[in-house]
Amino acid sequence: MAQALAVETHGLTKRYSTGVLAVNNLDLRVRAGEVYGFLGPNGAGKTTTLRLLSGLLHPTSGSAIVAGAMPGSPASLARMGAMVETPAFYPYLSGRDNLRVVARYAGVPTSRIEPVLKLVDMTDRARHKFKTYSTGMKQRLGVAAALLKGPDLLILDEPTSGLDPQGTIEMRALIKELKQGGRTVLLSSHLLNEVELTCDRVGVIAKGKLVAEGTVDELRARSGGSALLIRATPLDQAQRLVESLVPGQVRVDGDTLLLSVDPSQAASINRRLVADGVDVSELRVSEQSLEDVFLELTETSNSPHRDPPPQAGEGKDQSAAAGKTP
Amino acid sequence: MIASLRAESIKTRKRWANWILFGILLAWILLLTYLTFFLVVTLSPKSIQGPVPASVLKRRLFPENFVPSVLNAASSIGAAITLIFGALSTASEFGWLTVQTILIQKPTRSAVLGGKLLLLGVATLLLSVAMFAATALASYAAVTLDGSSSAWPAWEVILKGFGALVLQLTVWTMFGAFLGIAFRSAAAAIGGGLIYLFVAEALVGGLFRNTPVVKEVLKFLPGINADAINVAFPVTIRDSTASTQLVSAGRGVVTLLVYLVVFTALSLLIWQRRDVGGS
Repeated sequence: MAQALAVETHGLTKRYSTGVLAVNNLDLRVRAGEVYGFLGPNGAGKTTTLRLLSGLLHPTSGSAIVAGAMPGSPASLARMGAMVETPAFYPYLSGRDNLRVVARYAGVPTSRIEPVLKLVDMTDRARHKFKTYSTGMKQRLGVAAALLKGPDLLILDEPTSGLDPQGTIEMRALIKELKQGGRTVLLSSHLLNEVELTCDRVGVIAKGKLVAEGTVDELRARSGGSALLIRATPLDQAQRLVESLVPGQVRVDGDTLLLSVDPSQAASINRRLVADGVDVSELRVSEQSLEDVFLELTETSNSPHRDPPPQAGEGKDQSAAAGKTP
Repeated sequence: MIASLRAESIKTRKRWANWILFGILLAWILLLTYLTFFLVVTLSPKSIQGPVPASVLKRRLFPENFVPSVLNAASSIGAAITLIFGALSTASEFGWLTVQTILIQKPTRSAVLGGKLLLLGVATLLLSVAMFAATALASYAAVTLDGSSSAWPAWEVILKGFGALVLQLTVWTMFGAFLGIAFRSAAAAIGGGLIYLFVAEALVGGLFRNTPVVKEVLKFLPGINADAINVAFPVTIRDSTASTQLVSAGRGVVTLLVYLVVFTALSLLIWQRRDVGGS
């Protein structure tokens, strides 16, 4: 049975009047109830996409359904909360008054304000003016405003941007907490570990195009998944030997060999190396980091001619040519 | 729209800049228009007084002339202040990026702006009441201090005068709001609006008033039409200058109403269609 989608786009494209193609034929599917990480380098088109989904921008072509309705329609806005780019509030109003303004626009009772302030740990500072807030407090107030409607879909654009390490940890914990109760969270970020720690599935965008989508493990698998790392002396002798065992699956990275083979072959490979007089000082399974995957995917997207991105789980035969050891 | 109106009321009430603007306007009327003029006319030696006696000049400040006095203030400082008020209200949303915050709440874009413009209209109406009341009180104080007597204008004149005041100030407020949306910058909107008001229309229009082509253009400008309405409320101490006006008071009213509709419609059109954020 097909899972319900909180966000669905078809060929969504945005070309600005300046000629910049910010989002290019984007097909995005965010399932209801998941934390979806929207990953991409700066300038990849993440914020433009979120603005399109929020109805702040009009698409050049393509369509989208957000929370069951057209982006920017009252039906869609009523079921979504968003913090797009910078948390923007009235500097002369207190945090609490800013939320009162938002609550009135949204048509929600002001009794919702105190619970969301408590949730983001801003109750004590709510009476102070917004212009006196630190970056972390502004971010938290932005999340509080997005939560006022009790939305089914929460869109957060780089919510840990500008936060100190403690604030980052707290924000991640909050995002995980927000997922409870079946809420969908669409989280954009250029921070790989943030996405890895908080998201169920990830979409990678580069130059306005979705270049990969899947779970973190699926993305790793796409780019070669795990590998055997061997540190041995002499290295050239070890390389010749393993190439005869697993042809085409070996590459040299510094003073180590990386073998794209099933890790269960580690014992037999080790026996052959030792039997041929090679000193093996290290042999272990090397998990490819999300960073490797990200770099590979976004660098690949710079190629002038590309095929459409494969679906999640496809492309396991791609070699991790651009990968690096952890 | 009601949700937007309620939200706007918090923002407008708690913004100090608005109170400062309104304070400047009322202070201008009370201190410059009334107090300073009263003191100069009352205390200046007879040797430097002009051909018109001080006792006659002072009648400009008395209740019989409070309607033309307040309309005179409306066409100069009142226009500038309400233009700034309207421009600040809309342009600041772009400057602070709060336009993003308010447009991702529940109401449609037109409802959000509709509430904002409605609130601007209500605030301008309240400002008009304050201006009218302050001017009436000042005129009463002037005649009382002078120990003279002066009759209040007829109710009909007062009501028409109040209507003229509200119409003019609302047009300038909406002009400011339109400029704020068009320029998305408070500085550009206020600068552009004031330059239009005091340089393009008042100064250039005044200098080239008798040039046939310019004269035809001037007939369609809001300031000229507002002035045409104002001279329909003449000061009692001199003849009406109605004959020197380019258009009649009736046409002035119609033209200002058209401007009100045009500024509102253009604001809605741009607000509805414009992308928010991005390059």
